Amino acid sequence: MRPLMTMVFALLLGITGCASARPVVQTPGGDMTALRVSEWSTRGDAQRRASTRMVLEGLDVSDYGREAEAVAGFERAIQVDPSNPLAYLAYARHEAFHGDPARALQFLDKAEATFGRSAEGMHVLPHLRGLRGVALKRLRRAGGTELVEAARREASVWTDGRLDAAELR
Amino acid sequence: MGLSLFVVGIVGGFATARHFMQMDAIVTERFEGRLFRVPSKVMSAPTILYPGLDWKQVDLRGTLRRLGYRDSPSAQGLALGRTHWRPTRLTLHRRPFDHPSRAEPARVISLHLDGPVITSIRDAQTRREVGAVFLEPELVGSYYGPDHEQRELVKLEDVPPHLTGAILSVEDQRFMEHVGIDWKRIGGALLANLRAGGIAQGGSTLTQQLAKNFFLTPERKIWRKIQEATMAVIMEARYSKELILEAYLNEIYMGQRGGTAVHGVGEAAHFYFGRRTQDLAVHESALLAALIQSPNALSPHRQPDRAHKRRDLVLQLMREQGRISDGTYQRAISQPLRVAAVTPEPREGRYFLDALQRQLPDFYDGAILSAEGLQIYSTLDLRLQRAASAALVQELERLEKAHASLAPKGGEKLQGCLVALRPQTGEVLALVGGRSYAESQFDRCSQARRPAGSVFKPFVYIAALQSGELTLGDWLDDDALEVKVPGGTWKPRNFDRKFHGRVPVRTALEKSYNVAAARLGQRVGVDRIVKTARSLGIESPLPKVPSLAIGAADLSPLEVARAYATLANGGIRPRIRTFEDVVDPAGGTVERQAINFDRVLDAGTAYLATSLLEGVVDRGTAASLRRRGLEGAIAGKTGTSNDYNDAWFVGFTPELVVAVWVGFDTPRNLGLSSSTVALPVWSRFIKDITGGRIRGQFLRPAEVVELEIHPETGALALAGCPQRRTEFYVRGTEPAQTCPEWGRSPSRERDGSGFFDRFFDGLFGEP
Repeated sequence: MRPLMTMVFALLLGITGCASARPVVQTPGGDMTALRVSEWSTRGDAQRRASTRMVLEGLDVSDYGREAEAVAGFERAIQVDPSNPLAYLAYARHEAFHGDPARALQFLDKAEATFGRSAEGMHVLPHLRGLRGVALKRLRRAGGTELVEAARREASVWTDGRLDAAELR
Repeated sequence: MGLSLFVVGIVGGFATARHFMQMDAIVTERFEGRLFRVPSKVMSAPTILYPGLDWKQVDLRGTLRRLGYRDSPSAQGLALGRTHWRPTRLTLHRRPFDHPSRAEPARVISLHLDGPVITSIRDAQTRREVGAVFLEPELVGSYYGPDHEQRELVKLEDVPPHLTGAILSVEDQRFMEHVGIDWKRIGGALLANLRAGGIAQGGSTLTQQLAKNFFLTPERKIWRKIQEATMAVIMEARYSKELILEAYLNEIYMGQRGGTAVHGVGEAAHFYFGRRTQDLAVHESALLAALIQSPNALSPHRQPDRAHKRRDLVLQLMREQGRISDGTYQRAISQPLRVAAVTPEPREGRYFLDALQRQLPDFYDGAILSAEGLQIYSTLDLRLQRAASAALVQELERLEKAHASLAPKGGEKLQGCLVALRPQTGEVLALVGGRSYAESQFDRCSQARRPAGSVFKPFVYIAALQSGELTLGDWLDDDALEVKVPGGTWKPRNFDRKFHGRVPVRTALEKSYNVAAARLGQRVGVDRIVKTARSLGIESPLPKVPSLAIGAADLSPLEVARAYATLANGGIRPRIRTFEDVVDPAGGTVERQAINFDRVLDAGTAYLATSLLEGVVDRGTAASLRRRGLEGAIAGKTGTSNDYNDAWFVGFTPELVVAVWVGFDTPRNLGLSSSTVALPVWSRFIKDITGGRIRGQFLRPAEVVELEIHPETGALALAGCPQRRTEFYVRGTEPAQTCPEWGRSPSRERDGSGFFDRFFDGLFGEP
């Protein structure tokens, strides 16, 4: 009786779409659609869109190695829309690779909290794991390597263990 | 006789030589050391324009006016610093902005407007769409020395030749040839003065003027003129013409901006035209040169006709001396006299300037700040600052008129303060430390510590929620309480002098019941209350007494704002930030204050606390905010200290935390509650800056679930439960009881598993 009930329930969940609420969607090849900021640039209200464009501009200059300008861009993005999780994520990426890894963890925490239950949240998981892993490794703290490995398995952009500005863009 | 003459000659020669050496020492000391003391400037956060923005709400016209932008009749060939307004379009030639990491080039931008909304922004030259445009920051204020002079130093190579040409043509046309003294000019001046029977014309060269300004008093005595000439000759002998000219261009007095003296052509170019010297046109350079003779008598703001006439004279001299061509002369002389509106330094920012200075490292003392010419890029939003200042001053005036108990007594006026923070970054967006900086420089938001009263209570509830011993569905006792304390018994009372018996947690905080909070404080323990308050950002001394639970602590409004910001920020405590960076005159960043925060409270508890405080605004002691037309996500807490001496309201939206305190500097009974005294200031400020539309929601974190419960028992409401309301729980703290009581199993006790897990366990049975 019990397996039958379980199957019925699983079927119901599938029909109503609840099954898709799993946090990680993995393809058989182990690659999932990792978040790219440019795909979110037209979403949200005017403040969010303007803020996301500033994040994109920050990632652009980061790609050219102009990190101080990139940080200025991310800070402006936060000022325009303090609830924009993409701004915290981009800032965390900067800190993880180029800045203070302890600050990267703070920004990741903030990004995670701000993504919350949003649709982006699902696709950002490999980035959150990978960046946390990078920061922990730089801080010589336990668990960093495992997290980067998890990100590698989940998203192809993390294959080299890094997340370049262009890849997040 | 001969010997006497010889002796006199020798003595005279020695005296002259000694005098010459003294003069030389004075000149070289100044030139080899610091030539100028340049007050450091504090700049506001920039105004950011983007599609979708309500340009009227952000007072774009006012901002552009204050930045010195002038309207032009046509968008064609729009000059730098000019705007062209049409009903559906604003074309703007934005000035360049220098900054080590946020430099912006000059750019012509076209903003398409639909009513109050910017619909799109394009680069007028490339026609490409632009995501956002930054206007240059506004001046908040400067750190002056005792002389109260402002100047922006310029290098000679950055000064256009037509500006030096204009100045030389009218002030010292043989500057490049003379040795500090121009005998021809002196002769001409002597003749002119003899003819006039008094002093009608000066014979001073530009070098002499510099010597007078640098080293001497303005009195017109023969001995002083000899000293001036001696020093001019020494300067010319020791230093290059270029160095002397550059010093002159930076020293010369150019007018008055309120109580501040404008010195040098760099500062004058900004003051009169809103431009850098290198961007000046010929007719503008001529006007600056014209003003040198008498900046106030020839002020283009007050004496436009006189200024115009002298400007044209300068242009004429420039042409006669071959410094400009006929064509340039004709074009320049046809230009009307147009100057930027006088924008006195905003007084509203003075409290903020002091707070910023206190936050800078100790190295940046008054002497450094008044001399080093630093540019400090602050977090202050001048639009919010103006609104804050107006809200506080006007509401205090209204309150004084409306309530006799608040009228000034013995010359002491009702005081107040307002501080606004961005919770995510801790940035101070507005800070008004009192009614008038001119009357009192004491900042009541960051320097004063006043009894916090009920604004402290949320920390007690948070301490209880954090430990899991309190949920929002619980009830508290608001019955008489007696606590033995050293020296007696403490008996807390409610403001209405009644006890309310058993009350829901929400009601207890919404109505700000003291006894319920005191009882909760007893349960939680004073140590944990202190620990919680500290973690949220309270730094003032906290007495370890039972009455701490109802706010027996003196706190500053700024630290209370930060603690509430931690709630608005989902449990992440921001570091207070008043500036982004400090840039030296060479353009290098010498100090930076990065965004910094720490998680100090779990997101679930922060959300529950925020939800409680939303109830205060929706149903509790701050419900009048809703009646004042404010909609959207607002949470906050009123606070009235014992004896009604202090009135607080600390409220927040998802993007802003604002703390307001009102009271007398010498504590005095206000006779009114905080909702009558402090809350109107908050409400007026928020309405002014948002138009009543609050953006965003408080994000419910994944660990918080919303459940239906039975209001009386707090039990989980299932089908058949006669009454129900929704409530938030951190996963793992959901009610163990159900209403009606069926299907109860041991697994539903608080065992850390989530509601849904238990629900489905119940549905499918235990293995």
